[in-house]
Amino acid sequence: MVEPVNSSLGKMLLEEISPVVMVLCTPLVEDTFLRNGLSFVETLKPFCNFSNIDVPVRTSSDQLYRLKKFTLRLFYASDIKQPNVEVAKQRLERVITQAGEKDFQDLKSDPPQITDILSNPESEIAPSWFRYYNKELIRTLSFSDHEAFDHPVACLLVVSSKDEEPIKKFVDLFNSNRLPTDGTMDPNILKHYLLVHDNQDATTERTSKVLSEMRSQFGNNECNLLCTNSSKEGNVEHQANPWASFKSSVSADKLGCALTGDDIVEIKDLMQEFASRHIIPYMEQKVRELNQQISATRKGLKNQFKNFLWRKGKDDNPDATKGSMYTYSSTESQIRILGDYAFMLHDYELALSSYRLIYTDYNIDKAWKHYAGVQEMRGLAYFISDQPKKDSECMENAFSTYMKLGKSGFQNATRCGLWWAEMLKARDQHKEAASVYFRICGEEPLHAAVMLEQASYCFMLTKPAMLHKYGFHLVLSGDHYKNCNQVNHAIRTYKSAISVYKSTTWSHIKDHLYFHIGQWYAIVGMHDVAVRNMLKVLDCGYQSKATQEIFLRDFFDIVKKTGMKHEVVGLQLPILNMSSLQVIYEDHRTYASQASALVEESIWQSLEDDIIPSLNSGKSNWLELQSKLLPKKYKESNVCVAGESVKLDLEFRNPLLISTSITSVSLICELTANSDDLKLVDNEPSGSSLSPEISTEHNQVTTSGFSSFTLSEVDFTLGGGEKKLVRLTVTPSEEGILKIVGVRWELSGSIVGVHYFQSVSVKAKTARGRRKNKLTPTDALKFLVIKSLPRLEGSIDHLPEKLYAGDLRYLVLELRNKSESPTKNLKMKISHPRFVSPGNHEEELTTEFPDCLKKGDEHNIVQRESNRTSSVFAFPKDVSLQGDRSLRWPLWLRAAIPGTISLYFTIYYEMENVSSMKYRTLRMHYNLQVLPSLQTSFKVTPSPSRLQEFLVRMDIVNRAKSDCFQIHQLSTVGCRWGISLLQPVDTILPSKFLLAGQALSCFFMIKDCRKSGTEDEETTSLPPSQTDVKLYTQDDDEKLFDIVSSPLASFHESERSCQGPSVQVSPNTVDFILISRLAKSSSPSAVPDLPKILSHHSCHNSIRSSSPISWSLDGPQTIHHDFSTSLCEIKLKMVIRNTSDGISSVTINTNDFLPDAAATTSSSGNQSGWRYVPTITEEMKLTSDVMGSRLGKPPSSMESSPPFIWSGLSSTKIQIQPLSTTEIPLQISVFSPGIYDLSSYELNWELSEHESATSSGTCQGYPYYLTVLQSE
Amino acid sequence: MANTACFIIVGRNDIPIYEAEVGSAAKREDAAQLHQFILHAALDVVQDLAWTTSAMFLKSVDRFNDLVVSVYVTAGHTRLMLLHDSRNEDGIKSFFQEVHELYIKILLNPLYLPGSRITSSHFDTKVRALARKYL
Repeated sequence: MVEPVNSSLGKMLLEEISPVVMVLCTPLVEDTFLRNGLSFVETLKPFCNFSNIDVPVRTSSDQLYRLKKFTLRLFYASDIKQPNVEVAKQRLERVITQAGEKDFQDLKSDPPQITDILSNPESEIAPSWFRYYNKELIRTLSFSDHEAFDHPVACLLVVSSKDEEPIKKFVDLFNSNRLPTDGTMDPNILKHYLLVHDNQDATTERTSKVLSEMRSQFGNNECNLLCTNSSKEGNVEHQANPWASFKSSVSADKLGCALTGDDIVEIKDLMQEFASRHIIPYMEQKVRELNQQISATRKGLKNQFKNFLWRKGKDDNPDATKGSMYTYSSTESQIRILGDYAFMLHDYELALSSYRLIYTDYNIDKAWKHYAGVQEMRGLAYFISDQPKKDSECMENAFSTYMKLGKSGFQNATRCGLWWAEMLKARDQHKEAASVYFRICGEEPLHAAVMLEQASYCFMLTKPAMLHKYGFHLVLSGDHYKNCNQVNHAIRTYKSAISVYKSTTWSHIKDHLYFHIGQWYAIVGMHDVAVRNMLKVLDCGYQSKATQEIFLRDFFDIVKKTGMKHEVVGLQLPILNMSSLQVIYEDHRTYASQASALVEESIWQSLEDDIIPSLNSGKSNWLELQSKLLPKKYKESNVCVAGESVKLDLEFRNPLLISTSITSVSLICELTANSDDLKLVDNEPSGSSLSPEISTEHNQVTTSGFSSFTLSEVDFTLGGGEKKLVRLTVTPSEEGILKIVGVRWELSGSIVGVHYFQSVSVKAKTARGRRKNKLTPTDALKFLVIKSLPRLEGSIDHLPEKLYAGDLRYLVLELRNKSESPTKNLKMKISHPRFVSPGNHEEELTTEFPDCLKKGDEHNIVQRESNRTSSVFAFPKDVSLQGDRSLRWPLWLRAAIPGTISLYFTIYYEMENVSSMKYRTLRMHYNLQVLPSLQTSFKVTPSPSRLQEFLVRMDIVNRAKSDCFQIHQLSTVGCRWGISLLQPVDTILPSKFLLAGQALSCFFMIKDCRKSGTEDEETTSLPPSQTDVKLYTQDDDEKLFDIVSSPLASFHESERSCQGPSVQVSPNTVDFILISRLAKSSSPSAVPDLPKILSHHSCHNSIRSSSPISWSLDGPQTIHHDFSTSLCEIKLKMVIRNTSDGISSVTINTNDFLPDAAATTSSSGNQSGWRYVPTITEEMKLTSDVMGSRLGKPPSSMESSPPFIWSGLSSTKIQIQPLSTTEIPLQISVFSPGIYDLSSYELNWELSEHESATSSGTCQGYPYYLTVLQSE
Repeated sequence: MANTACFIIVGRNDIPIYEAEVGSAAKREDAAQLHQFILHAALDVVQDLAWTTSAMFLKSVDRFNDLVVSVYVTAGHTRLMLLHDSRNEDGIKSFFQEVHELYIKILLNPLYLPGSRITSSHFDTKVRALARKYL
């Protein structure tokens, strides 16, 4: 809070409300002073402001006070009139335009920080030209008829000593230039006569004579002499030129060139004397006279009552006066003059009392302009008197009254508002001042712009600062400046507003600011700054589609106007998804397809562990051949080969709703070629990276004149909000260090977007798992380029994607080396040997598949001797590939199990005459989808009566969804087992086909062809036909398939190792191979590539029964005996076989049962089991004979005694070794003829395994019928 | 019914978390910009008033030409700001109170991060229905 007199408004009032002196001079006087480049008034004006005049003044009271500061205003008589409105407007506009041109160079600077703005001194916040603009605006209201402080107080008549008849000139000057004739100004003003003497021309004698005549004519005190232009040379340079503010700086040095220092002092003394001895005393006397006059007529109770009655009468005659309502001699005008004179003489109490007398009169007369003017002066007087609240009330009253007048009062309202705002600012009421500025905006856009900008600075100065309103009003001001084509000012205000809104999340505000200021920068020709601002609007995904189109179209228009391509680092159109960045490159690991590169590295490493040499041996080789730097680089950085591309996948996203075309997308790379740079790179700190601020030439090559790498360029269009994964490649052709620095792209052919990678963490898919140090983000995109190497290309012809389980295919692996450098030591490893098996030789098959697998084909190769213990397939040593030669190698594929299978192939090869890399691997990856087909299960049951034979039950289910299968053949593996059908083929499968979902059971007999009772490994070789069973009808002319030939035998070995845990060949198991084919049908199959043969392998089918022992009872079936001589003793033999792996202890218990028990056993035996029953006819005959001959026996003796007894040992215990057979003799005694069932015995077995666990069980005897007949 | 009405919920740190043009007049693209500017500028006045009164409803805190800004300040200093050209003080107060209830329900959602943008379509539907009812 400053003192009102010393505030900016106080100083302004001192200058603006001060006495006016009318100047009348002859043309010769003007010529005298024009030698100095100034007019007469301009010469005197700097000396009209007195800071220490110290004149005693006594006005209404007897108390004396001294004036310290005083100001005079000098005007030519021709200028004392109402200024022209249009001229004033143009002058104001020129003020703004010049201020804008002055600030043009600052437009390019960045918006200032909001903290810097807040810390600025108060006087520096608003531009300095605002004060000048406000003064000019106030002066457009000069010399209003309703205000007396602009009426001239005195008249200064100036005549040159060279004028003819000077005395007459003085009289003529005043008579011909009278005051305005509207009658509101005092015609009898003070006159002062000045004689100007030019020292360069006139003589002194003439001047003295004229001065004497003037003094005798006009009075001694009213005349003065001014000598000027004392300098003869005319080149005086003034250090502090008082006229510098009048002219432009070009000719400022010439101002006052003919005036000496003494001349300036003389002018100064003249003006001081004029003010202190003439103006102030005259005004003082005038005030006293007016005060006495008005006191006599208007003050006191009696006068007020009389004035009320008298003024009442004036209303009865409204049209009495046709001219101005108040002439100079009217009472109201006199009171106004009194008040204004008192104000100018700084007697504010007298001024206030005078104004109070007349404002009610003006109110009654409805003279609103006069009324508002008086209220305005009251407010100013209260302010100078330092009386708060009253001043604002008066200003508010005046302002409202002016506004009611409409357009005619708006200028007065503006001036009142400006003074009011200054008043509020002086009292630190900046918020209220801002509202005043807002109210005086009006409809003129340029005027409104200046007022709004001043309002914004008021918001800045509040405590605390109201930054939101500061920014808002700057934006409003900028919009108005733009409407008046004051683009420089618009940019300036918007730039300040951006300081406030820079980090805002109010999206519409941010877009409005950057879009418009970008447009305006383009208008003034600063296209680079325009582009920079427009870039902030490009990611306006939340705006409507129409708005986005406007933004983008204007943006590209501005870019095109620059006439060159703009490179924008960090352009957000489109948006790069850096987390999607993937780098694919090949070093010693090469890939046959895209799918191979996407496989995880650990899968390849586990596959290649036993195929590639160890790292240590490689290192030792390198140490012998290379310098020490190179192995270190191999460990630390990625390695790629010259001539082979490095691929980079990156996702682009369009943030807009409109489609955007993106062209020329490519990588930004650097390649340093020589080995010295290699050392320099080694010495670089790992943290160093390319900064976006450093302007570097991209894609530069250090040593080569031509490009040492080639880049791919991609063009694509992104729809609204669309994402697209783009593959970019760089192919180095020279050795050195390759860095992928960033990505660049083009928009609309004129904008180049650049994005640098230095701070992005990259997912390098082919990073080495063995590296101990963690991969830094920069190193992931740095590659050591080595010399060109041979690169093997591989493919498998016609590998199907869909297969049925068991499908057997013949494939060809083709390897090709396009390089002239040869390769050697080829090896291959397959991830699933169960599925894929390499063939034996390179030559083509002589017979078509699958007929080559059938028996009788002479080219079938028996592969018994080739048992490969290693899973690595080594190609023959003489295989070498070079010069675009291709190697075709057969592969057998069999779909082993249903499901989705990923097949991985790794082919290892070595290079000759290459020192940087000893070997490379080619990786191939294929996916198979295996559908279920026939599902088989086998159950082998030993025959109870014949130890060498087994019953086989095969269950088949067709699990395919729509296809039918035809069973071809069933074979046993090995030479041990013979197989035969139990039923004809027509009975088993009448329809020849298994439909989808159909199940089938078949029964077979297999026979062990080894010699009984011995474990001899030597077996007689069976004819091949006995190991196969044909399952198709006799009508078909088909051959059986040879299961001992490759690849069926190889796949069977794989299945054995997969289906069962045991490694050694077990004598208790049997393997089956079922061969089927797809039935021919018109409907399309689920598998596009039709299979020709399907093999289903069932391994490790156990022939062991649940019981560890099996036995048979041997003896005669029919015997004749003469019972008249003696009882009949019959010898029997029991053969027992231990089928388990442990020692079995067997106990034979024989029981003598009654006939009822024997009958029960016999009846149960009829239901199941193996038995051989004689024919019925033979049995009936024998029975009839026996019964007839024995009619004499008593019946009671038969019922009480058993029919036979076991006459041997009642309990026999033996030990049977594992897998061995033993014979036990038995004996029964028979007492009478008949048919006897010898199953009344049981075998108790106890098995001791290799471990301590034991098991035991009991087996009942099998039915065995013995027929005893009476011999004749 | 207000011809022009713009409703914004401003979280702490002056970040808008919900915006809706709820007036009955046809939507114009440049109107949204002006509405955001006016409401953003009114934050200065709310900042002063919020600490001088215990009431949550600050009626007519600011005006710009024919548009008036009414504000409702929650206990967590979230500001519900409405720019309107109608004079319906009771309706506006009821509107604020009911939207405040909806906002509290949003805050009770454990998956909602306080201060983040409200993207619930249910909330948006409810707010627009309340605007048609009260404004």
